[in-house]
Amino acid sequence: MATPERAQQILTGLKEAGIDLVASVPDINLLHLLNALYADKDITHLPVGREEEGIGVCTGAYAGGKRVAMLMQNGGLMNSCNGLTTTALQFGIPILLLIYYAGDMGDNAFHMLGLVTEPVLDGLGIKYTVMRDPAKVKEQIAQALTAAEASKRPVALLLTRAVL
Amino acid sequence: MKRYECLQAIKPLIKDELFVTSAGGATSEWCAVRPSDGNLQVKTLGLCSSIGLGLAVALPRRKVFVFDGDGALWMNFGSLATIGLHQPKNLIHLCWDNREYESSGGEPTVSRSGLINFADAARAAGIQSSRSAESVENLVQAVRHALNNDGPHFIWARIEPGRAEVPPLALDELENKYRFIRYVEQTEGTSILRLPLPASYDHKATKP
Repeated sequence: MATPERAQQILTGLKEAGIDLVASVPDINLLHLLNALYADKDITHLPVGREEEGIGVCTGAYAGGKRVAMLMQNGGLMNSCNGLTTTALQFGIPILLLIYYAGDMGDNAFHMLGLVTEPVLDGLGIKYTVMRDPAKVKEQIAQALTAAEASKRPVALLLTRAVL
Repeated sequence: MKRYECLQAIKPLIKDELFVTSAGGATSEWCAVRPSDGNLQVKTLGLCSSIGLGLAVALPRRKVFVFDGDGALWMNFGSLATIGLHQPKNLIHLCWDNREYESSGGEPTVSRSGLINFADAARAAGIQSSRSAESVENLVQAVRHALNNDGPHFIWARIEPGRAEVPPLALDELENKYRFIRYVEQTEGTSILRLPLPASYDHKATKP
């Protein structure tokens, strides 16, 4: 089960990495993290209706000087593919993609999403890390943001239940 | 009314506002009328309204224009609700409605039915300042109102099909992005395009 403590750790990791704007679409496994974002005063939180909107919002906010992340389920990654390709990748926009890994080994929902998630990220040319160890959460967030800013590309962190 | 004559008519009202424009005639004509590094072209159909929202939230003291199209807005219709939810006061969302996919060969959009009212839809989505314009004069009034009052604003510009004979934007996305962000940096006095510190600067060099 996801816990508020682990959600807080992710939020702290985002802040320490310098993220100051997060767009989001919910998933039950992201509930604690979303609650923490709603309550937080430092990070601008912009819920959107569909994940591809969030890629647009993050792109615009980056151009305006924000360090940005998009929080969603991997179904939302599928919804975002054109925006990621023809906006985020073609412009070269560093966006931290925080993706709940539905259908991961041991997860009983959306097994097809689990099957295609990593191949889709590979196909898009988006570098990613699967997060499985709560002790490494902050380090992996910082590393992902460094990779995103150095390459000026979106970089993904796949959030498994173990870190949520 | 034609889009090009509308653009020429609103140009005198514009100072250093930022423009996020849907690819096609809206971009090429606007960049011909007002060449500026403050123009960003969006190739993803429909995403200009979302990019404009993010930009407006990041720069709340700067007016941000979105030049959308009827086909593009249909593709990302939910963005009206998202703009309505977040209420960016500085966003001016203008939809050039020619009732067709002009860049795709002129196929009809949802607007060709004559049944949809984009201005009513925007208002129903929570964008209180929503107007429609069917004459150049009305459009200029709507833009002046949007520039002088808090928004978010939506303007439904009902235009004739047809693109003026102007060249396409001569920048690819990378050059457009860099020039646009440098322009934001210069006019806002901020630093956006941060580069990670090279490893050799990361610590005091120690001689062997």
